[in-house]
Amino acid sequence: MAEKIRVTPFWGCMIPVKYPQMELSVRKTMEPIGVELVDLEGFTCCPDPIYFKARDKIEWLTIAARNLCIAEEAGLDIITMCSGCTSTLLEVRFLLAEDQELKDKVNEKLKKVGKEYKGKVKVKHIVVMMRDDLGIERVKASVKRPLTGINVGIHYGCHLLKPSQIMGIDDADYPSILENLIQAIGANPLTHTEKLLCCGKGCIDDEMPIDMTYEIFASMEEANVDCMGLICPTCFNSFDMGQIIIARKKEREFKMPVIYYCQMLGLAQGLKPEEVGLHMHRIKIDKIMEMISKPKKVNVAV
Amino acid sequence: MSDKKLDFDFRERLNKISGGSHHNYCYQCGSCVAICPAARFNEDFNPRDILLKTLLGKKEELIGENSIIWKCTNCYSCYERCPQDVRPIEVIIALKNICREDGVLPETVDKFSETISQTGRSVVVNPTVNRRRSSLGLPELQNVPVDDIKKMLE
Repeated sequence: MAEKIRVTPFWGCMIPVKYPQMELSVRKTMEPIGVELVDLEGFTCCPDPIYFKARDKIEWLTIAARNLCIAEEAGLDIITMCSGCTSTLLEVRFLLAEDQELKDKVNEKLKKVGKEYKGKVKVKHIVVMMRDDLGIERVKASVKRPLTGINVGIHYGCHLLKPSQIMGIDDADYPSILENLIQAIGANPLTHTEKLLCCGKGCIDDEMPIDMTYEIFASMEEANVDCMGLICPTCFNSFDMGQIIIARKKEREFKMPVIYYCQMLGLAQGLKPEEVGLHMHRIKIDKIMEMISKPKKVNVAV
Repeated sequence: MSDKKLDFDFRERLNKISGGSHHNYCYQCGSCVAICPAARFNEDFNPRDILLKTLLGKKEELIGENSIIWKCTNCYSCYERCPQDVRPIEVIIALKNICREDGVLPETVDKFSETISQTGRSVVVNPTVNRRRSSLGLPELQNVPVDDIKKMLE
């Protein structure tokens, strides 16, 4: 029996509040592959790497460092389920290691709540933990119903990979982590022109995010993708709810199911769509379930 | 006659903000523009130009709630590509921090950040949220220690 991995999940805000189906899928899929999730009390918003950081970087660093302290005190490493949380926590970790003066300044503020950041805690996005600590083979071994024949259009999102100097996860131009994880559950990761394009959620503009997501859908459609696979709740919002907005503003319906990686893993582990909360998505996944229940017949020459 | 005076005071101010001082390394190669999705989807957005204006200290063109800097998608592609370690996105964020100091933050940013300072979360928890969670068999969300946040930011 392979060793169990103990980590503390940092759920962030978007997942537990807006998309609890993602939390459910993580809780359901991790136990069978040997990951023990130890929930700790006291985490707050990471805080978000876009608006809050834009308001005051020192305040952003301080709140994030406090979150890191909680895991550090418990002697547990953090796994993140959201690319935004991953970005904040890893960048703060990097900046406080790079700049002693900044670290002193932040620790001065942390002292007010009886905390001190030492810099010992590690932070990994759940997909990185699966690749590096668990190993792709253990993910593969948990599959009971491979998603054979399903073409998945990967959307990496920005904050898992960039900047690679800080994230250190994969090549930012030629990543492979999600392709490998999707292959592990029997599906077929399809490459498409706009695989690495930003979803646009981080800019303050009415048109740009819609134009950007539209390009991504068009690129996936051209590649004959059956569903979209991603790992970030903010990107999910851009693409699931986003399709409703695109249909209204651009009069174009893509009807592309958007699935969070752990939900996909759950289906492959034999869970029903409701057991990983897929019934909560705006864009229905019936087409995918039909493909899973009736795998394409392979013609064998007699 | 063009105004050739540089505003060094503005640059000095930017240098003091975390991430702001790297603007000094920019040699205007434009690598950031080639990779920038905001530049691709909005012809008015150009990170090289933002850096040039920063080097010239053109504060009035950069600081404001309707400044072009708010069209940045925050994707970090420029950070990835920059050969000079300018970390253009971090310079843009430092400029945004100056917007806050000067009281010209866009309302969206201010409201969103205030929710975090006041509740500890970026999305507000209401009874519907907990009903949806319990329909999935997930535990109710508890309040987070927002007093800690308030104390630290005092």
